[in-house]
Amino acid sequence: MWRATIKSLFARKLRLLLTALAIVLGVGFMAGTYVLTDTMGKAFDDLFSTANQNTDVVVRAVSAFQPTQGGPGGSGADERNPVPEQLRTVVEGVPGVASVDGDVTGYAQLVDPATGDVIGTTGAPTFGVSWNPASTPLTVREGQPPSGPGEVAIDAATAQKFHLKVGQRIQILLTGPPQEFQIAAIVGFGTADNLAGATLAVFDLRTAQAVFDRVGEYDTLQVIADPGVGAADLRDRIAAALPKGYEAITGAAAAAQDAEDLKQALGFFQTALLVFAFVALFVGAFIIFNTFTIIVAQRTRELGLLRALGATGRQVMRSVMAEALVVGIVASLVGLGAGLLIAIGLQAMLKAFGIDLPSTSTQLLPRTIVVSLVVGTLVTFVASVIPARRAARVSPMQALRDGASGGGESLRRRAVGGVVVTGLGVAALLYGLFGASSGSAASLVGLGALLTFVGVAVLSPLVAKPLAGALGAPLRALGISGRLGRQNAMRSPRRTAATAAALMIGIGLVSFVAVFAASLRSSFSAALDETLRADFILTTGSFTPFSPQVAQDLASDPDLAAVSAFRQGQIRIAGKTDFVAGIDPATIEQVATLGVTQGSVGSLVQGDILVYEEVANTNGWAVGERVAVEFARTGLQHLTVGGLYADNRFLGNYAVSLQTYEANFTEQLDEMVFVKAAEGVPIARVRADVEDAVAAYPNVQVNDQAEFKDQQAGFIDQLLALVSALLGLAILIALFGIVNTLGLSIFERTRELGLLRAVGMSRRQVRSMIRWESVIIAVLGAVLGVAIGVLFGWAMQQALASQGITKLTIPPVQLLVYVVLAGLAGVLAAVLPARRAARLNVLDAISYE
Amino acid sequence: MQLSKVYGRGDAEVRALDDVSVDFERGRFTAIMGPSGSGKSTLLHCMAGLDAPTGGKVFIGDVDLTALSEKQLTLLRREKVGFVFQAYNLVPTLTAAENITLPLDIAGTKPDRAWFDQVVDTIGLRPRLSHRPSELSGGQQQRVAGARALVSKPEIVYADEPTGNLDSRSGVELLTFLRDAVKEHGQTIVMVTHDPNAASFADRVVFLADGRVVDEMEGPTAERVLDHMKSLEG
Repeated sequence: MWRATIKSLFARKLRLLLTALAIVLGVGFMAGTYVLTDTMGKAFDDLFSTANQNTDVVVRAVSAFQPTQGGPGGSGADERNPVPEQLRTVVEGVPGVASVDGDVTGYAQLVDPATGDVIGTTGAPTFGVSWNPASTPLTVREGQPPSGPGEVAIDAATAQKFHLKVGQRIQILLTGPPQEFQIAAIVGFGTADNLAGATLAVFDLRTAQAVFDRVGEYDTLQVIADPGVGAADLRDRIAAALPKGYEAITGAAAAAQDAEDLKQALGFFQTALLVFAFVALFVGAFIIFNTFTIIVAQRTRELGLLRALGATGRQVMRSVMAEALVVGIVASLVGLGAGLLIAIGLQAMLKAFGIDLPSTSTQLLPRTIVVSLVVGTLVTFVASVIPARRAARVSPMQALRDGASGGGESLRRRAVGGVVVTGLGVAALLYGLFGASSGSAASLVGLGALLTFVGVAVLSPLVAKPLAGALGAPLRALGISGRLGRQNAMRSPRRTAATAAALMIGIGLVSFVAVFAASLRSSFSAALDETLRADFILTTGSFTPFSPQVAQDLASDPDLAAVSAFRQGQIRIAGKTDFVAGIDPATIEQVATLGVTQGSVGSLVQGDILVYEEVANTNGWAVGERVAVEFARTGLQHLTVGGLYADNRFLGNYAVSLQTYEANFTEQLDEMVFVKAAEGVPIARVRADVEDAVAAYPNVQVNDQAEFKDQQAGFIDQLLALVSALLGLAILIALFGIVNTLGLSIFERTRELGLLRAVGMSRRQVRSMIRWESVIIAVLGAVLGVAIGVLFGWAMQQALASQGITKLTIPPVQLLVYVVLAGLAGVLAAVLPARRAARLNVLDAISYE
Repeated sequence: MQLSKVYGRGDAEVRALDDVSVDFERGRFTAIMGPSGSGKSTLLHCMAGLDAPTGGKVFIGDVDLTALSEKQLTLLRREKVGFVFQAYNLVPTLTAAENITLPLDIAGTKPDRAWFDQVVDTIGLRPRLSHRPSELSGGQQQRVAGARALVSKPEIVYADEPTGNLDSRSGVELLTFLRDAVKEHGQTIVMVTHDPNAASFADRVVFLADGRVVDEMEGPTAERVLDHMKSLEG
């Protein structure tokens, strides 16, 4: 049996290659994701331990909770109270302390002197720090460390990219008004040119304290121990000396914590990429299943002969599964190798986007090897179980009968099974979206989507024939090639359906993303129309906040009726971390419609909190009630509910006044500023006023409502393009599936093709016939995919309706484009099989001997 | 119709055809006979433009097949040649009627309705025209194949062991149909067979052995052919 298995494997090298390719790509992507994120994680570990290696103990204020994102400025600064100067003296007095450095961190964005544009618009952090001679993680590459006001050091990556030199003058945007500095030094993070894409401005301590509004204060203290004093020991001694609200941790623990925070973000990235790898493997499983099914059907005679010669059903089954196992192991191994290349490619891509990683060796952890091999092999193996069982059922009699590729199980059983699986899938999906607690929701939705795809794939052979017939109907007008192509697509509905199903998954997900993005866009547009009354919206165009100075500068302009700033930070309330908006109670109602149902916006002035009506109802809060709100910096506060509002699309679930916001958050940057023109002032003049005022802030863009909508739509489109590109892998694999199926079908129809050629069909006609068959299969998959995608999109929109996705928009042109592209891809997939079919030697094809 | 051909494979290889020279007259039913390996099928394939001879020339009418490109050969097969094969003659996805008009569909021309009806009536399968090959018996399938070979009014029809897979009664039906096509419509048919009974339906039998024409016989009967075959083998 073994020899037969091996021989059969090698007899079909090309088929083996195509089948394996599906697994290679999926495993490669998975391994690549692991290698890349492991390498990045290791790099950050190294980086932070180097950064903190000079520091024995870190002293800082206690943070009430860890926000899920860094400071709102994206500066990476923790939301903590500052450490006062006196505390430094206290710490210095602790026995065993050799020296204490204080550092401050804050928002500082560089402006390219050559163009006047801001540097760092990719959303990566742009921050400034103080230079601590003793404990700095930075290494000076060129120049001298900054000393005194007016001097700055910048990171090497930025310097290189924008050709900045020591001695050059540079404008820097700060929380206050922008200031000009002279570049004193170029610095690196050890061997890396920057920290994961962040741009850096380094000031001496006094300057940093001045520009970050920390005069007489520090963010943290770095303590260096006397020789012979252990870090943990010193930590305990310092902790004993600290007043309430402050903590001491060892430098190593701080490094681990810093690295952990970054690695958590890395974890999201990893999970996101793994989802795409998983989708690719899932599609790969369909290809394997389909290929093995066809092979078993084609080898019916051979298998029957083996049975007639005395092989048991189990032996036949095992031989097929062994074949799958070998394919799986080999493909997984190759995939693992491909993964290393993919990781290097991804890293190069990140670098091209300006995210430079500290150099470290590529991390191929045992976990990566094991998971890749096990998953790749298992997927292949499981996909072959059903075909193998089918092989086991081949009777010895079938060796003697001609051509028979057996009927298989009844359509009724298939229909029942398909409906049950689809039903389970849809149920899991809907429960995940609407019912489940947030913890299990994501996995339920994933499982639901998976089961739905499988269920529809099981059902699709039932509709494949009529659907392929209907889709191919126009082809009948194109003569014999189109007609035969259509008939061929219809002749084996199970095979057509299984091939199309692989494509269906990719197209389904892409369509879902398209529907969701379109709904997001139209919902956002509707939200603006219904809630926003401002004439102009000021943002940075990269989701980064900007200096509140802008709003202050505009406030005195007599041409403006209202200038209203909007900030956003995280709080813990009712057991959940959520966003709170900081708004100006005096002007907000001139620029936005909030739909306040009870209480008033004016109550915010007394430090009250506004709550979204639905949230208040869920928690049983009424106006006037005091609720517990936890701020990371200031800890537990009790705020009075000052009012309820019915529309959360503008504010989110909670809002406080800017004053309350300032009292409880460290970083004070505006996310947006809304401007309303005064009565009777020409809008063009207002625009000119505003543009003049922001001229010093090249990061701030002035948009009217229509432009703002376009800007947001642009972000959504970017995201859509990125996700679609990643799903392209799954679609590519599905196309290999079509190539494979067509190739096998052509092999099966050698005689028929020979006959057609003998009676005068030209090569061109044969090629066109195969092409049409491929196009029908591809379009069939695309149509099913689009249908599922729209369904998923609808479900998602419904689930998120209360989060502001109030409109369902199905983009017909885009979906149609997907179907047309799938058809074109079908043409592409048919190139090789068609050429092979056309090249068949007529004589070989019709000889019987 | 003039046809002469010389064929030899390489230098020392098997000479499947060894300087064969033979004519098939227009409007006659000729059978080619010979033991296995005598080169019958090779001859047929060369004459039909399916295979290229290593030497010599093949004519259908005035057209020299050996001078034609692959494309021209395809056109020639489509317009001037009809085929009936031993097995696997029909396209399984097409109905009987569609199979019959297949060569015309490939050429993109409309069938001559009257001629189509006449052919269909001759094979007696009018009620089964909308059936797929899998719903027809072997004999019926082969008659559909015969009708397909005739429907484009080719200059010559080649039949390669057309009765090989049929029971004797179905075989007789098919052969009668072929002979009638020659008698009534002046069709030219060349048939390869090893069955003396089949050969007896032809007007003339050409005997092949070891790649050479060894003999021929006019107005054959089954007995005479059989005797002759025995003498060839003995």
